[in-house]
Formats: sequence, C-alpha cells, structure tokens
Amino acid sequence: MLAENKFKILQDLIEEASNEELAWINGYLNGIVSIKEPKEKTVAKGAINKITIAYGTETGNSKKLATEFAAKARKKGIHAKVQSLDQYRLTDLQKEEFFLTVISTHGDGEPPEAAKKFYDHVHNNGFKLDNLKYGVLALGDSSYPLFCQAGEDVDKQLNKLGAQRFAPLQKCDVDYCSEADEWFEEICTALNKDVRVPAIISPQKKSTQSTARKIYNGNLLTHINLNDRGSKKETYHIEIEAEKVSYFPGDSIGIIPENNISIVNEIVSLTGTDVTTFIDYKDELVSLFDLLIKKLNIRYLPERVVKQYASVIEKEFPIQRMDLIDLLQLYPVSDANQFIEIAKILEPIAPRLYSIASSPDAHPGEIHITVAKNSFDVNGKIGYGLASGFLSGYKPGDPLQFYIHPNNRFRLPEADVDIILIGPGTGIAPFRSFIAEREATGATGKNWLFFGEQHFVTDFLYQSEIQNWCETGVLTKVSTAFSRDQPEKIYVQHKMIQQGQEFFEWLQTGAIVYVCGSKDPMSIDVENNMLTIIEQFGERSKADSVKYLDSLKEDGRYITDVY
Amino acid sequence: MAEQLSPIEKIKTESDGLRGTIIESLRDELTGAIREDDQSLIKFHGMYQQDDRDRREERAEKKLERLFSFMIRLRLPGGFLTPEQWIAVNEVAGKNSTGVIKITTRQTIQLHGILKSKIKPTIQEFNTAKLDSIATCGDINRNVMCSAHPKQSPIHEEIFAYADKISELLKPKTRAYYEIWLDEEKILDKKTEEDTLYQDRYLPRKFKIAIAIPPNNDIDVFTNDIGLIAIIENNKLQGFNIAIGGGLSTTHGNQQTYARLGTIIGFTGTEEKTLKTIYEILTVQRDFGNRNDRKVARLKYTVDRLGVEKFREEVEKRTGFTLEKERSYTFTDRSDYYGWYKNEEDKWFYTLFVENGRILDNENIGMKSALLEVAKTDKAIFRFTGNQNIMISDVAEEDKKIINDILVRYNLINHTDSASSIRKNAMACVSFPTCPLALAEAQRYMPSLLTKIEALLEKNSLSNEDIIIRMTGCPNGCARSYNAEIGFVGTALGKYNLHLGGDHEGLRLNRIYKEGLDESAILNELDGLFLSFKNERKEIERFGDYSFRKLFN
Repeated sequence: MLAENKFKILQDLIEEASNEELAWINGYLNGIVSIKEPKEKTVAKGAINKITIAYGTETGNSKKLATEFAAKARKKGIHAKVQSLDQYRLTDLQKEEFFLTVISTHGDGEPPEAAKKFYDHVHNNGFKLDNLKYGVLALGDSSYPLFCQAGEDVDKQLNKLGAQRFAPLQKCDVDYCSEADEWFEEICTALNKDVRVPAIISPQKKSTQSTARKIYNGNLLTHINLNDRGSKKETYHIEIEAEKVSYFPGDSIGIIPENNISIVNEIVSLTGTDVTTFIDYKDELVSLFDLLIKKLNIRYLPERVVKQYASVIEKEFPIQRMDLIDLLQLYPVSDANQFIEIAKILEPIAPRLYSIASSPDAHPGEIHITVAKNSFDVNGKIGYGLASGFLSGYKPGDPLQFYIHPNNRFRLPEADVDIILIGPGTGIAPFRSFIAEREATGATGKNWLFFGEQHFVTDFLYQSEIQNWCETGVLTKVSTAFSRDQPEKIYVQHKMIQQGQEFFEWLQTGAIVYVCGSKDPMSIDVENNMLTIIEQFGERSKADSVKYLDSLKEDGRYITDVY
Repeated sequence: MAEQLSPIEKIKTESDGLRGTIIESLRDELTGAIREDDQSLIKFHGMYQQDDRDRREERAEKKLERLFSFMIRLRLPGGFLTPEQWIAVNEVAGKNSTGVIKITTRQTIQLHGILKSKIKPTIQEFNTAKLDSIATCGDINRNVMCSAHPKQSPIHEEIFAYADKISELLKPKTRAYYEIWLDEEKILDKKTEEDTLYQDRYLPRKFKIAIAIPPNNDIDVFTNDIGLIAIIENNKLQGFNIAIGGGLSTTHGNQQTYARLGTIIGFTGTEEKTLKTIYEILTVQRDFGNRNDRKVARLKYTVDRLGVEKFREEVEKRTGFTLEKERSYTFTDRSDYYGWYKNEEDKWFYTLFVENGRILDNENIGMKSALLEVAKTDKAIFRFTGNQNIMISDVAEEDKKIINDILVRYNLINHTDSASSIRKNAMACVSFPTCPLALAEAQRYMPSLLTKIEALLEKNSLSNEDIIIRMTGCPNGCARSYNAEIGFVGTALGKYNLHLGGDHEGLRLNRIYKEGLDESAILNELDGLFLSFKNERKEIERFGDYSFRKLFN
C-alpha cells in the first residue's frame, strides 16, 4: 500500500523505536486516522447530555475514576450513568449512544476479572456498533511489559466493530490522576460542543517507576515458614521494616524480584558476555550484569519475546514459552554482541503483588506479607516462582525494595458492620490485616473467618493468632476446612453450606462478604455456594438468588480479591 | 494438708458420668487439644492428651499451637490378644498413630500420637475387634495384671480368669464411653447407670491391682494398691494372700510422699470372698482416701494414715467376714522366661524380647512385620508380660515349626538370644517427648546407657549377672524403678538419682544412693561398685543384696 520510500521511512522508524515508542506511535496514528477518516459520519449537531461510563476494576481505581467522572459530568449538566462492566448488560451496547469505559490491565496484559465478560463479548465480533461513539481510558502499570494492553484491545476492537472513537485512547500509568482528569475535561467540553477530542497523549509524559510511585527500602525483619515439617506447602510469613509507610488494610505491596545469580552467571558464561558493558536502559546507563539480575525477565519468556529472539539470531524454530537459559542452550547466539541485541528485546521483570497481612495500627512500622512458595515441575526439574523463590531465600536483615499498591475496593467497612472473611491458603493475608486492625481500633462489628488448607496439623496458617482472637472475642466465629484430613475433600465452600442458615442470617443483617485467594476454582465455588445458600436458606428462586447476589455486588457487600 | 477438695474432684462430680463437654471439645475445629476439664475426664476413657515436647518451640515460632495428640491405652486384663485382635491393633496403629505398638509396664498396649480427629475412628475400630480402653487411666481401677507365663502353673487359666472378673467387677457403670466414642444413643434414664462403687466421685486417685503366681513375681505384686498372691497347694488354687498399699510414685522435694510396698492383710479362700474383699478395699479407699491433696491420695497413704489394722477392720466390717491368716509363699524371680517353653497341655510359648516394649520395624529388625505374619497364621495368641515383652502363646506342637520359621526368618530368635541379661531385665518409661511429666529422657536414652553398662560388666567379668535395671524420667515410677536393683529416677535433662539396694525378687525397695548424676558420674559409680561387688560378694549373692549390705547397713 505504501510507496517504497515511505515504507522504508516507516520501517526505519519502527526499527529504532522502543516498545514504548511504538505503542505511542500506534496511539497517535489512531488518533489521526480517526480524525481524518472520511467515511465517518458527522455527529449530529447539538450537545449530548446522556452518557454511560462503565468501569472494569480490579483494585478500585477504575471505579473511583468512573464515579468521579460521573460527578463532574453532572455538574456540567451531562447525565452520566455509572456501571461496573460485570453488571453491564452486554446487549445494551448496541443501543448505547455514548459510551466511555475505564479499564485496567492485570497480569500479562489481561483485563480485570470484572471486565472479562465484556472483553470477551466485544472480541466475539458478529455484530456491529455503528451508532456507538466511545472513548477508552486505559489504566496500567508501565513496569509491566504489556502496559495498558486490555484498554488498548478494547479500544481497537470497538473501532473494528464500527463504533466511532469520540476520544482517542488514553493510557495512564500508576500516577493516572492528572492525565485522566485532563482527558475527561476535554471530553466534557467536546460533548457540550459535540466535537471530537484530539489525542492528548504526549511522548514526553512517558511514565517511569521513579516518578510514578514511591519506592521504599526496608529491611527484612522476620522470615518464617508457617507450615510445619511434613507439609507439602511452604508459606512464608515475612515481616518488613517499614517506617513512615502509610497504607490501609486491604492494600498490597509490590516487590520486584531479582533473578537467581547462578542462572545469570550461567548465561554470562554461555554467551561470553562482558558483564561490565553498560547499556542504555530506560534513559539510564546500567551494567549488563545489573540488568540481568535486577531488570530483565529471563524466566518463562512469552512467545512474543521468543519470536523476536528467533528473528535476532535469524533462525526458525518452534515458538513456545521458555526460559532464556534454555533458549541460549538450544539456539545459541553467534557472539557476545548478538547477546546484547537479545538483552534489548527482553522485557522488564514484572513486580509481584502481595496482599498486606499486617495492620498499620496493630503492627506500626512494619509490613507483613504471606507468600506461598510456588513450586512447579518443568521437564522433571522442580522450579519455583521467581518472586516466591526469591523471597523464600531471604534472611532477616536483607534489604528489600517495595512499593504500596492501593486496593481501594478492598476496604474495611464502618466499625459496627459485620464481616465474613473467606480466605483459604494465602487468602488469609488481608484478613489477618483486617482482624488485627479491627482489634486495634476496637471495631464492634462481628467477624466470621473461613480458612482452609490441606492439613490441620501442618498447614493452619496463623493458628495461634486466630485462637487468641477467638479467645478475646475479636473473631466471633471461625470455620475451617482441611481438605486432606479425611477421604473426602472438604473446602471452605462446603463449610459455608454446612452453616448456610447462619451465613444467610449474617447476609440479611448487613454483613459484607470478602473473598481472597485463588480465583479458580475456589472463588468460583464460593460464589456458587453463596447462590445455593441464598436459594436454600433465603427460600428464593434461582433467578432471585442471582439478583440478590448481584445487589450484594452493587452495594459493595460482596468483594473479591482473587488471583 | 489442704482443706479444700482438689479441683479434679469437682470436675469428676460435675461431669455427668464422665461426659463433661468432651463432645464439644471434639467438635472444636480451632485446636487439636480438648478443653482443660475434659482432659481430666478422658483419662477415665483410657486416653491422655499429650504434646510433642520436642516440637514446642519450633511450632510456636510458626504460629502453630503445640502438636497435640492422644495416647490410647487398651484394657487387657492379664494382657491377652487373639490373632484377629493383633491384626486390628496393627492396622489401627499404622493408620492413626505413630505406628509403634507399645507394650506398657502393666501388660497392656498403648498407641501414641493419635490426633483428636482420629480418636473416634480408632476407638470404633478397637470396638469392632472387641477391644476397649475403658478405665485404663484416671482415678479408677486400671488394667488388672496377672503373671503371664502359663508355665507357672497348670491352673494358670483359672487364676488368669480372675483378672477378667476383677476388671468387670470394678468397671464404671456410666455409658459415657459408648455414647461419646461409639455413637450409642444417649440414655434417658440415668438410674440405669447408677454406680454404687464409684458413685459420682470415683476414687481419690489411680488404683492398680495385680495377681502374682509364685514363684515368679514378674508383675511386681507389691507395687500395686492391691496385690493378690495365688496360693497353690497340690495343684489346686487355695485362694489368695491379699496385700494392700503398694505404690511407687513420689514427688521430688515433697517429704510427705514415698514409695511403699504392699502389706499382706490376710487370705481369702473363695472367689466370692476374694472379689468382695477387693470391692470393699476400694470402697474404704473411696470413703477414706485424701481428696484434697492428690500427691498423698493413693491407697498407701490411706493405709498408713488409718493404720493397717484399722484399715483391715474397716474392710472386714464392710464385707461381713474376717480375713484368714496369710499363707506362706516364695518368690524366687521377676524375670521373663525367654525362648520356647511347653506347658502341661503340650502348648508351646515363645517369649520374645521387646526393648522397652516398643514394637516397630526399624533398620535392624522387622518385629512388627514378623508379629503380623505370626498373627495371620492364626496359630498363636499374644500375651504381654509385666516386663514389657510379648509372648507368642498357645501354639500347638504341630504348628510350632511354622511359628519358629517366621521368628527365624525375621531374626527374632537371635535378637532375643543375643540380648544381654541386663538388657532383657531392663525397663524404661515413655518419658520424652510425649509424657507431660517427664523431667529427663527414659526409653529413648536407656538403650545407649545399657550398652555402656554392659561394657562395665564385661570389664568386671559380670556379664551373666541378671541385674534388674529400671529407669523413669520422673519420680512417678511408671517403670517401677524404685524396686529395681539399680534404679534411675530423672531429675532434669541428663540428670538422674541413682537408687541402689533393691532386691532381685521385688520384696525390698531400693534407696537413693546419689542424687542428680550425669552419665559419666553414673558410669563412674557403677564401675567402682561392680569391681567391689566382684571382689567382695558372698557366694550366690545378687548385686542388689550386695549393694544393700555394703551401702545401707
């Protein structure tokens, strides 16, 4: 399509651009195209006064923004309906006229759980959205490789379905506030005038961690494997010195793990690289050694990176996820210089988030986390998750860098509200924080904890603390499920049903249900069994039970933090 | 003496027939322990709550509670199991406990390390095998012992049957055991379990009964609250001498406490009179025993407080007849008869040496597997001795080879034959890590100490001496160290009081010779004593008698 000379310019540009820059160029061009698009219908004259703002939130930031936007819109005389994407009726999308969505990105470029259905729906194609005008505000964290990917996907896909981009995609990093406000301001202005908004992403605003968030340095105080001898699990209780770090119960901390030094050494000797070579990394000169230890992900590389690896070494081989060391062994680089090329395509080590298990009031000056050492079997070798392996090897006194990752959605209610906490395994972490906080502040609401693990004797995390809270009455009730202590597997969700009558009574008297732990299958089973309880003990039809649960979600009385 | 009833008394009387809140305790999901009051009550059901004391510190750091588990002790009057029952015990031990089958010093079996959630399944499986653990611990008559070896007398069976009769007679009437552990329906009419013997108070303290068949005193008859000595004339059971007030437990630093051997108060010539006398001895202890201070609540203190005469009169008043004058008898030994023996009926018996009563498979010997194989032949029954050994018994002449082949194949014959005399006579209590009373190691330490004592004996050419050596990790005397020729009583980790001067037959208690010795001091003392024993002993003088003469006269 392009003339050769134009194509050459473009290719050169792409060749030299970083991923970040490419993403920006992509957005910029999109914006221009949407303005230039000739076939685009002109939007009817006259101000628009009715919009929908839907959010897909994991930690509550998207929700917070969406709600703020709506309030602002109302002040300007625009009626805005705010809805969570998991509550949003997907068939309404075709009837929608003006639709804004705020959506965050998690894990490896994935949408938040609450936006999953919507995300899948728009990717299904099979329908047109010709009447829809839309704008996407994508929230993300630039320390992850696929920054704002979910928002980007949704923006692209809505466009593909025939909808008109009213405002260009706005990507925001962890310090999203001002960019987001600016974006929405312009939308409001445009809405009143009914003109399209120009793109406001500027390349200078490239966020990096150093400006985006406060990084703290703390020392490791305590490091205990909570599981007893003979357990199949290794769960570490880690206490980090954290003077003057403010956070709320429910927040997480982010830790950027380091790569294993022996693997890095192996890589170095395999490639004959001079580790003292300095390389420009994110506007900073960093030695190759430090890069390999602290910055670059060398484990379980995503296919997109493996593909780039293949093109750098100019070989063809089956593309599948694998560790850098394995790639280097199977498909060696020609020389040390080529390895430097490879280093440039590697993505940053993604931070790992851990729910904080301490309470600012009960454990001042400290942050506690509960980390399961994830072991997995790769080709007969026992491997460990990078971060959990890294943390489990830590010793008291070792320094650690971390940042606070707020989770506004996962908050304790007013002091007199009852809460039900369902947290098997490491899901106990935020609830230890909640209970300790409630004890320290003398909150009067009742607290019911569900905990589960494999074996009572070896795996009852924080058992003696839980016993103390029961004795002092802070915990009103504790229900435990140890799956492997009897022939049939018993999990927390079974214990919920066993106590269904009481569970439902708590719901009826306004208790808030919190769930933390593994997404699949735990949180799914818990939700199903909540429906069963509502149906059975609340004597409701299946459909009414679903409605009951939906209203709990809407009222913020059923809150999950699952992974 | 304290004037107030001891707190345990209140727990007993308010327990609703030993029920307490055991069911609620079992349901508590937060802890592997049971409520404190219930811990006193489950003893009456034959179990103790224990915890692994080796693991306390580490578990506390892991924010885990203590590693609680339960010991369950069977009620086996006279110490007897059918092959089917052995197979059942073997199975339960593998599934629910540490796997070790422990023969106690009172002729029964106990399993350790049973988690709270496994108590009911364990008792239910025992029940299927017609076994129970009723009243094997607690303030009540416990497992009744009887001289084990049928070689003793042609009328062993007749005497042996008394163990069962006494056990039944003195069993509590409450149905609590069946309700709690075996899901029997709750009885509504409480009258059906009215207990005229124990009332709602039970006894002030534990109560032990044993029957000895002279000339062997293998069950240490005089260390029991009631000791029966079978009197046999012309191959006929004439009746029993009755000894009362034996008991060994003391408390370090409490001068009121002491070990005591039983005093014979007379003879009974009929079954009816024997049982009646036993029953009323219990009622006198029930009514006169000290219920304020548990340290001095055993029968021995009641007997000494009232005086032997007064006590006998009270018993006779209650039975309505006077006891006959004691008959003569002779004890010559306390050891087990190891190896094969045949009784009058041409049945064979093999006594196997089991160090400290612990039956397990280890790297050296597969004793547990061997015994299971023996049980599976269905050609032998199992008896336990008061010295913590096992007797493979009642083997027909034609089956002897089959059994012997198994024992040879597992090297058990050699194991028994090659063990030294002192090792085969030795006993040690459980102590660490499970016993809450333990001050020093016992069964985990004794084997290695014996190896060192063996070397000293060999050095002094005394290897064939049958010296009885016993060790307990605290002053409660479960392994009866107070009437050993050499007794060790633990005072602190690695420290023992050395007791000497007890006789070989169990008729004279030993005395403290030196206090708080560590291993090297112990070996040093014994080395010197062995040398002077070798040089100064009279002809056929035993070590216990020699040391008594030398040190305490």
